[in-house]
Amino acid sequence: MTRVAYLFAGVVVLILLAAFPLVASGYYLALAISLVYFTVLATAWALFSGPTHYITLCTAAFFGIGAYTAAVLAEVLPWAVILVVAALLAIAVALVVGLSTLRLSGIYFVIFTFGLSEMIRQLVAWYEVNIHGSVGRYIFIETTQQGIYWRLLALAVVVFAVGWLIGRSRLGLALRVIGADETVARHAGIDTTRAKLALFAVSSCFMALTGAIMAPRWTYIDPAISFNSLISFEVVIMALLGGAGVLWGPLVGAVPLVLLFEVLTANFPNHFSILLGLIFIVIVYFLPNGVAGLLEQRIPRLRAGIAGRMSKIGEKLVRHIWSKPAARTRQAFDATPVLTMSGLRKSFGGLVAADDVAFETRRGEILGLIGPNGSGKTTVLNLISGSLRPDKGDIRLNGVPLVGLPAHRIAQLGVARTFQLVRVLGSLSCVENVIAGLAFRSPALWGAEAVRAARALIERVDLTEKADVPAAQLTYIDQKRLELARALAIDPVILLLDEWLAGLNPKELEDGIAVIRRLRDEGVTIIMVEHMMDAIRSLCDRCVVMNAGRKIAEGPPSAVLADREVVHAYLGEGDA
Amino acid sequence: MTLAIDIVLSGLVLGGMYALFALGLTLQYGVARILNLSYGEFLIGAAFGTFHLYVGMSVSPILGLLVLLPLSFVLNWLFYQVVLIPLVRRAKDQGMLEVDSILATFGVLFVIQGVMTLTFGGQLHSYSYLSVPVTILGATLAANRLLAMLVAVLIGGGLYLLLTRTRTGTAVRAVSVNPMAAQLSGIDVRSVSALAFAAGGAIVAAGGVLVSMFLTFSAAMGVVFTMKALIVVIMGGVGNMLGALVAGLMLGVAETAVARLVDPGLTLAVTYALFLAALLWRPTGLLGRTTL
Repeated sequence: MTRVAYLFAGVVVLILLAAFPLVASGYYLALAISLVYFTVLATAWALFSGPTHYITLCTAAFFGIGAYTAAVLAEVLPWAVILVVAALLAIAVALVVGLSTLRLSGIYFVIFTFGLSEMIRQLVAWYEVNIHGSVGRYIFIETTQQGIYWRLLALAVVVFAVGWLIGRSRLGLALRVIGADETVARHAGIDTTRAKLALFAVSSCFMALTGAIMAPRWTYIDPAISFNSLISFEVVIMALLGGAGVLWGPLVGAVPLVLLFEVLTANFPNHFSILLGLIFIVIVYFLPNGVAGLLEQRIPRLRAGIAGRMSKIGEKLVRHIWSKPAARTRQAFDATPVLTMSGLRKSFGGLVAADDVAFETRRGEILGLIGPNGSGKTTVLNLISGSLRPDKGDIRLNGVPLVGLPAHRIAQLGVARTFQLVRVLGSLSCVENVIAGLAFRSPALWGAEAVRAARALIERVDLTEKADVPAAQLTYIDQKRLELARALAIDPVILLLDEWLAGLNPKELEDGIAVIRRLRDEGVTIIMVEHMMDAIRSLCDRCVVMNAGRKIAEGPPSAVLADREVVHAYLGEGDA
Repeated sequence: MTLAIDIVLSGLVLGGMYALFALGLTLQYGVARILNLSYGEFLIGAAFGTFHLYVGMSVSPILGLLVLLPLSFVLNWLFYQVVLIPLVRRAKDQGMLEVDSILATFGVLFVIQGVMTLTFGGQLHSYSYLSVPVTILGATLAANRLLAMLVAVLIGGGLYLLLTRTRTGTAVRAVSVNPMAAQLSGIDVRSVSALAFAAGGAIVAAGGVLVSMFLTFSAAMGVVFTMKALIVVIMGGVGNMLGALVAGLMLGVAETAVARLVDPGLTLAVTYALFLAALLWRPTGLLGRTTL
């Protein structure tokens, strides 16, 4: 089917759904309302929690905020304004939750969301009793079941459209990369906090709107009704049953479960929560990736790939909610030295991992950073790339100070790195891995351009035949090649290789050395941490030798490797 | 002045309870690497157990402790071995186990809560045991609170000695630092994790018995206790026992102050305010991250 045919089918389905209240009423219409409202909630939940794996346990909090806003403002403000206020309140709460937890590890976020609806319920109940003077409120909004149904249906269309657009924008890719490996995401130039925050706010906003639209259905509302934690739970179950990784997953989960819950509440009202818990446990154990995951496993064509779905329009529309394109300073590009460090110090408790380290890297050279294990080499790379912040000292890239900048800014300025223990995004294909490097640098590449550039980079590291294979299926050397291609994708001013040649067999080592040599000939400036002395001798123009956090020698490889202090550091007193 | 002493004393007792809950949770999360969202349900379960032993059979809560603590130990051991081990096995990394264990225990939470509501009803429960007033520094405190405090100190101190002075305790601490390295030095990580998880469950049951002596409780209240335990663990720094004690006492006093001076319905808001402060100010915990 062509795209037009899909669109046509979609419109027909939508018209049929919109016409439903004309033929049905009462019980069936109420059921349809439940179906649509849970579909919206579960889809909104999966927008954020699906790709990032940050489990949100507070759907009820946002839903309740929406419902309560509608209840309080119903008589004072027009309907459209109420919706705006509900959305803004949800965004405000989402920002408080997000700003305090999303820059930390995921567990803080989950814990914060776990008790959030209960806390807000307490606050609202306190306010109602002490200031408003009654626990509950009657809602006087003139509307019918049909009206609620149509509004929800419209909201469902919007949530799917937004989800579709995000899935085709850089924001969607950013979240998938974050879900796969947050460290890689940062060093690929993704502002991870901002991306997570933006989508969490969008997701919360939809939940609050659902609550506001649903509020008139109750006519009487109190904190316990609107902040019912069972909603949070039901939504997670639905999204997981369908599969939170794809846009249509939550819909697939919501439809059967809403019907099932309907049967269960009617027949086993007292056992509902028990049955719900058991159903959920079964899903977690036997369908960890949901129906969508199961289908994707059977029919690889369904796999939601990035490469074929990048849309320029989607990107343009979505960009404003999160991204601030960073301009790279190009004017001082020919500066020599490219990177200068002075007085760098970093200690971990009592251990000084880098002590007054100073050296510079000249344009177009390969600088070997060597020294015995634990001498502080990787620490220095981490300081340059922004994984760690130095206690003291200065780092400049083409004269621009890097100290204090977040890792993604440093990556955007042109510092690319590979990791000592190779890190590829296993669930993404090779092309997608490289696109992750292209899409967040400055200037960013997107759409067909990005695919073309990604394929060219993959060819450059000799991976052409495996371009569309998931990265997890690659051999060790191929994963290293892929990681290198992703690093090169950000068009680095300087490339940091952390033991990139380690663990390769002699044949692979030869290939690896050839790849690096080719990069140097193409003009890439490289700092490589390495233990392979042969590779250092044949590749490096200069070496910096470290021992116990300090620089002990600097110069051409032949000279420093003959230096007494260096030999001493590697082999100990007796052999010096 | 009496009010201030009163708040501080009651707050310290309550805070001591929170520190005890956090201690159990830190064993489950810091050693067995399971973030157990159904943790508070075991607390409420033990509270109901005590209630029915005392009101129904006149078994005193302290004797109840001797029954409920081992019972919860066994139940939690089985919980780990039967429900959680499949997740541990299939997890490719710690992040995946974290997500899976959060989801699975979230489900278990609703099952246990449902069973308790069905069996004991949804209303608030309380009973009167040793509610004789004792006067300390001019403030009056019920004897049951003092007794609860004393038992909590004994349990906490005992656990500390077990962890630092015994071979098994050393193994538990080793797993908490680095499961991989612990395995390489010949420690059976799986059975140590099961042991730690079960011990955590036993401690929270003890906590449930103790708070039931002076607080009212209902089947739906487990979530709030889980939340408070989690926040105390984070404020204190995961795996840091002293940190958990300090954070627990802080929370207890702050909460009691707000409950007495403003409104008892706002205690969770206090918890969140402290949590927020901790996140913004010292996300690695009051005393930094160390391990058991």
